[in-house]
Amino acid sequence: MITRVRIHNFRLFGDFEIEPRAGLNVLVGDNEAGKSTVLQALTLVLTGRSDGRPATDELTPDWFHRPAVNQFFDDYTTADPQPLPTIGIEVFLDDADDKLQKHRGVHNTLGEDCPGLRLTIEPSEDYADEIRGYLDAENCPRAVPVEYYDVHWRNFADEPLSRRPAGLGHVLIDSRTIRSQRGVDYHTRQLLHDFIEPAERAAISVAHRRARHEISTTYLNKANERIAEHDELVEGRVVEIDFDQSGTSSWHGSIIPRIDQVPFALAGQGVQAATKIALAMSRSAEQTSFVLVEEPENHLSHARLMRLVASIEALAGERQSFLTTHSSFVLNRLGIDRLRLLGPSGTVAKLTDLPADTVRYFQKLSGFDTLRLVLAERLVLVEGPSDELVFERFFRDRYGRGPHEAGVDVVSLRGVALRRSLELCAALDRPVIALRDNDGKDPDHWIEPLRPLLVDGRRQVEIGDPTDGATLEPQLVRTNGEGPLRGALSLDAHDDVAEWMSNNKTEAALRILVAPVTLSPPPYIHRALDLLG
Amino acid sequence: MNEVTWAVAGSGKTQSIADLCASLTPSAARRTLALTYTQTGQRELVERLQRQAPSGPAPMVMGWYSFLLTHFVRPYIPRLLPGRRLRGFDFHGDPGRYAKGAARYIDSEGRAYRLHLAKLANQVSAACGGAPVDRLSRMYDDIFIDEVQDLVGWDLEVLDQLLDSPIDVRMVGDVRQSLLETNPRDPKNKQYKGLALLDWFRVREDRDLVKVSHKSETRRANQAIASFADGIFDATLGFPPSVSSNDDETGHDGVFAVAPEFIDAYLEAYKPQCLRSSKASGKELDLPFRNFGEVKGLTFRRVLIYPTGTIVDFLRTGAPMVGKSACGFYVGTTRAQSSVALVMDERQEAQVPLARWCPS
Repeated sequence: MITRVRIHNFRLFGDFEIEPRAGLNVLVGDNEAGKSTVLQALTLVLTGRSDGRPATDELTPDWFHRPAVNQFFDDYTTADPQPLPTIGIEVFLDDADDKLQKHRGVHNTLGEDCPGLRLTIEPSEDYADEIRGYLDAENCPRAVPVEYYDVHWRNFADEPLSRRPAGLGHVLIDSRTIRSQRGVDYHTRQLLHDFIEPAERAAISVAHRRARHEISTTYLNKANERIAEHDELVEGRVVEIDFDQSGTSSWHGSIIPRIDQVPFALAGQGVQAATKIALAMSRSAEQTSFVLVEEPENHLSHARLMRLVASIEALAGERQSFLTTHSSFVLNRLGIDRLRLLGPSGTVAKLTDLPADTVRYFQKLSGFDTLRLVLAERLVLVEGPSDELVFERFFRDRYGRGPHEAGVDVVSLRGVALRRSLELCAALDRPVIALRDNDGKDPDHWIEPLRPLLVDGRRQVEIGDPTDGATLEPQLVRTNGEGPLRGALSLDAHDDVAEWMSNNKTEAALRILVAPVTLSPPPYIHRALDLLG
Repeated sequence: MNEVTWAVAGSGKTQSIADLCASLTPSAARRTLALTYTQTGQRELVERLQRQAPSGPAPMVMGWYSFLLTHFVRPYIPRLLPGRRLRGFDFHGDPGRYAKGAARYIDSEGRAYRLHLAKLANQVSAACGGAPVDRLSRMYDDIFIDEVQDLVGWDLEVLDQLLDSPIDVRMVGDVRQSLLETNPRDPKNKQYKGLALLDWFRVREDRDLVKVSHKSETRRANQAIASFADGIFDATLGFPPSVSSNDDETGHDGVFAVAPEFIDAYLEAYKPQCLRSSKASGKELDLPFRNFGEVKGLTFRRVLIYPTGTIVDFLRTGAPMVGKSACGFYVGTTRAQSSVALVMDERQEAQVPLARWCPS
């Protein structure tokens, strides 16, 4: 099991560290928070490869963390130039497994004595002069000269690795379009190969060679006879057409999965993803210790996604898995306690002390947009759509722009318990302001049970004074007076304003949102707006 | 349980390691590492193991130096020398007598000197609280060591750590064949070099760390040669008499003295392998000699030995030989299956049982 991943100067990460849990880890974060980077880094350090090709072949200047590269070039012309940036990716493995002891040692950035693997990308000592020449040249591009870099893939015992270490197999289920011209990507091909027994492989190889030979001798003969008529050009040597017998032409490259008689590459993206997961599931945990799944929600219908998520859970039962997602549904179903939130600049937050019944609560309410709670820069929780619209109106009045433009996400809970939502926010230590109706009770009646989850100025609940009314609508009437509100709502003189609003909550809120008259927020909303200043 | 078997020359030591590996590995799924000191020993062991288990998982075979580098120095060197990596092995280099600190162990290119490798291994191990042996004990259930008599100095400190671990260490060797040079720069365990290694093991036997046994049946030398070879050493060393299972009769069997003037006739008649202690002996003869040190582990039908002065003294007085010269002569003698011929002047009387050979 991977106990820790450390990434240095790779893509979005200057320095990144995550301590994954056993089983499933759901990686969540805004775009550009580095979700895919974590999966790519894991693939690199577990296999020495990226997209199925050796890291050395795939290495580009883009792999280097941009700010580190800029810093290097800024410093280079000063009196105090710093060494060229290097990339480091490490996985620390738990010490329990005897089979991994050969990878044990202290060659890691923490100097810890445990098994692990390490991939470093460093300037080659052999090219010191060339590197200096590159950097000192006029118009040197502000990019790392990767041509003079070496990729070192070793374990913590400092033993160089040349192929995937036994017992650390992984499978990557990505959601990207099939890139390979061969119709199937490297990882899928690996999966297929493991289904074929060694004895069958030998038989296939022999039959394949025989077939090629037969084609050469029967069908290419005519062509070869024609070539022979012109052999004066090669001075008596025999030139013939033959099938490629080299290693690259072996049958390995020619097998692809087929789904319902349709070649894999032509199947829908959703089917491709589901197929890969099915193939990965059938492998033993010995062959596949880690499963990496990238955004399974892509290209899938909801019904198929439900089935897929169930498979992923089963798959993760015995294997440590890393899954990235943008989907609240996926997160809720897999369990929000498994969430790892990638924040800006490589921070990782995890849920601590989330009650098990709250995890189950969100699993059942899998349609709730949990990720909005998790990802919001600043969060305001309200009870329903009318509260949302009214809050937006007063926010705009106060700050001159809408909450979204100011990075404030107003989420209406629509029946989801405020306590559960606050538990999630508290577990992630998210800042949040919640608004609720007093429903005729003293605010303390509602706030007291929530007290352990609240932090003054950071996580607060604002509730209106019961003497001003039990819900939003009477509160608005109380603050603004019936007359101005009647005007704002374009009501007739005989309408009871508070009653009409309570009967037409959403319509009332919509009218308030756009009413071109001056209105004041009730005091509890006013206090909430103050906190967002 | 740890065991050392002192096995007489020709008893099939390496084969017995291979047999042990074969008997343990498949059935009990034991994880086995086999170690041997010399390159030739390593190759031979690998071949035998492959013959034994052509398809199954053969145990890992390693040389002693690789063992120290791979399992002691490389994973943990930063704990002793912060920031250092092991970048290779310097077999011939010498840090000089006065090198201090890291420079004593690691050359300018980051390679470990062979000269102080075993000491470095111990220092690294001490610097990380014995982690290397803990790691090894998680990787292997059994470690076999072939040619254990070749371990000297700080090697024995490494061996002590292994004996004290949960790993079952089984060793085979013959101190009577200790020919390797000890490190002149390294006084560690000097008192146990050569035949005195017996004492080192005796101390551990008393502490219940290792069981010592003897294997005295030879399949190579016939009884006359085996008994003659036994006589080279002092009986107080405690070796049981060798017993030969080779009773081939060739018409010229046993140990013979051959006068210098008859050497040509003897070579003509029996075509023996000519052996000597070093190139310093038998200089006046233009014969295809090989040195004792080069023929360890080899078998010849017949040998002819050009004796050193020390060997001649033994032949004349019958007083047991000591030290390296005894070991060399023992190795030379025990290469032969049927006959050993010793170049000896007509005038020299032998106290040991020798037949004089003359051309008929």
